[in-house]
Amino acid sequence: MNPLLVAFWAVLIFASILWYGFLVFYIGWKAGREIKVMTETLGAARDETKTG
Amino acid sequence: MTLTPVDWIIIAVYLTGCLFAGLWMRRYVRGVQDFAVAGREMDVNVGIASLAATELGLVTIMYTAQLGYEKGFAGAMIGVVMAAAVWLVGRTGFVIGPLRNAGVMTIPELFEKRFSPRVRWLAGLFVVLGGLLNMGIFLRLGGEFLVHATGLPPGWLEWIMTGLLGLVLVYTALGGMLSVLVTDYLQFLVMGVGIVVTSVLVILHIGWSDLQAGLEAAWGTGTLKAHPYDPTHATSFGWGYLLWQFVFQVACATTWQTQISRVLAARDASTARRMYTRTSFYFVGRFLLPGLWGAAALVWFTRNGGLPEGLTTLTAMPHYLSIVLPAGIIGIVVAAMLAAEMSTDSGYMLTWATVIYNDLVTPCLKKPLSPRGQLLLTRLLVLGIAVFLLFYGLWYELPGNAWDYLAVTGNIYLASVFTLLVAGLYWPRANATGAAAALVLGAVGPLVFLVLGTKFKIAPEVAGASSFALAAVGMIAGSLLSPSPAKPAPAK
Repeated sequence: MNPLLVAFWAVLIFASILWYGFLVFYIGWKAGREIKVMTETLGAARDETKTG
Repeated sequence: MTLTPVDWIIIAVYLTGCLFAGLWMRRYVRGVQDFAVAGREMDVNVGIASLAATELGLVTIMYTAQLGYEKGFAGAMIGVVMAAAVWLVGRTGFVIGPLRNAGVMTIPELFEKRFSPRVRWLAGLFVVLGGLLNMGIFLRLGGEFLVHATGLPPGWLEWIMTGLLGLVLVYTALGGMLSVLVTDYLQFLVMGVGIVVTSVLVILHIGWSDLQAGLEAAWGTGTLKAHPYDPTHATSFGWGYLLWQFVFQVACATTWQTQISRVLAARDASTARRMYTRTSFYFVGRFLLPGLWGAAALVWFTRNGGLPEGLTTLTAMPHYLSIVLPAGIIGIVVAAMLAAEMSTDSGYMLTWATVIYNDLVTPCLKKPLSPRGQLLLTRLLVLGIAVFLLFYGLWYELPGNAWDYLAVTGNIYLASVFTLLVAGLYWPRANATGAAAALVLGAVGPLVFLVLGTKFKIAPEVAGASSFALAAVGMIAGSLLSPSPAKPAPAK
């Protein structure tokens, strides 16, 4: 077996595990804040519609 | 391994949280724009979570693990190709930039602006046909994972999946894309934890060097028919298939309506492009990590007397996980897999319902519906798709490899709609005649290959590439042999 090919897949597997772990924290934080902003914007638009 | 009370509590907490979050978002839905594209308020990180969660379903985990079991790590090369295609589309803005700038709600809507109302309707029909058939096997494969991984009685499969679909239906039909985005976010987090934990436990259980040695031994003895590391090897995919996959994945990234619905919900084209480039590497793990579980299952069962009776290459991985995962952890993993299933089901149901409403029903109405009527109709369509899924999805028996089924059904519309999009956005001479010819030829191709494929052995890359070639010939010949369009509208 070509050791370069084996190393290629090994690096990709460990990079993927680290990337998935990192994204849980990074996206968890960033997207959480974006959802808060999104609901505030939509909530304001809804209130405006209600009051005409 | 069966579920312990701790596992059940973890699963119940997760399901309750999802349902609550989904229903909470209902209050922000004012009309179809909010329902279908979240009022175009989606920012980049929510987009990443939603795109990743929708495109990584339990069905994905099943077929990528099957590829790992049958082809070793080389089976994950499709994920590497997919990541490259998504990154390239995001980096260049190819198709997705002008598509988002067009301000449409679905791809076929663009075709009315560019070609004609008939082309829009015909494209909508193919999009829905390909999409619904593609989604048809999601529930069964998801149910098989749960039954094999948890040791629940097989007779429960239909009831579990019906209950799960009912739960997804409640928040998707009421909150639309807004509920889908928020539940996708939660599901992305739960899925991420489950996939990382499972991958680490699998490596610890089988041992990295033992996994390597086991794959090489399986290849040496002929248990593994494909080279476990080299995807270009004649026994694996080969160069032809990989080149074809690159074209196919570029078409997917620019044409697959569930992915494009995130582009159309983005604030602007720049947000959509960043969402693509930043999500691209996620697609490597989407194939490689479940592929690792599948490869580990192969090594484990080969060492322990072969695949037990009643198991297939598709169900080997969940059965192996039931051996590897301890109590408590299996609850987290099952919650993660439920998250994968739910995020995909909700995104797909909403997408196809939006296309049916926007491109098949609305153009046929003589008088436009009231905003309340539009919302009610879209919600009823989500319900109708759920009913279809239950009957088709749970009672249809898969004839062969899951990945092949998904590729063929997806191709029913990918080749034709991709050709229409590229020509419509970048070729001023393209007209409605060429578009109609491309639609018919591009969709007829895969259907003919589907029928002839049982009689004659046709390589999937030949079948797939021919569909794209037929659609392109239809577009070019049809456009050049008929009058030029009155108002060409190339991409800016």
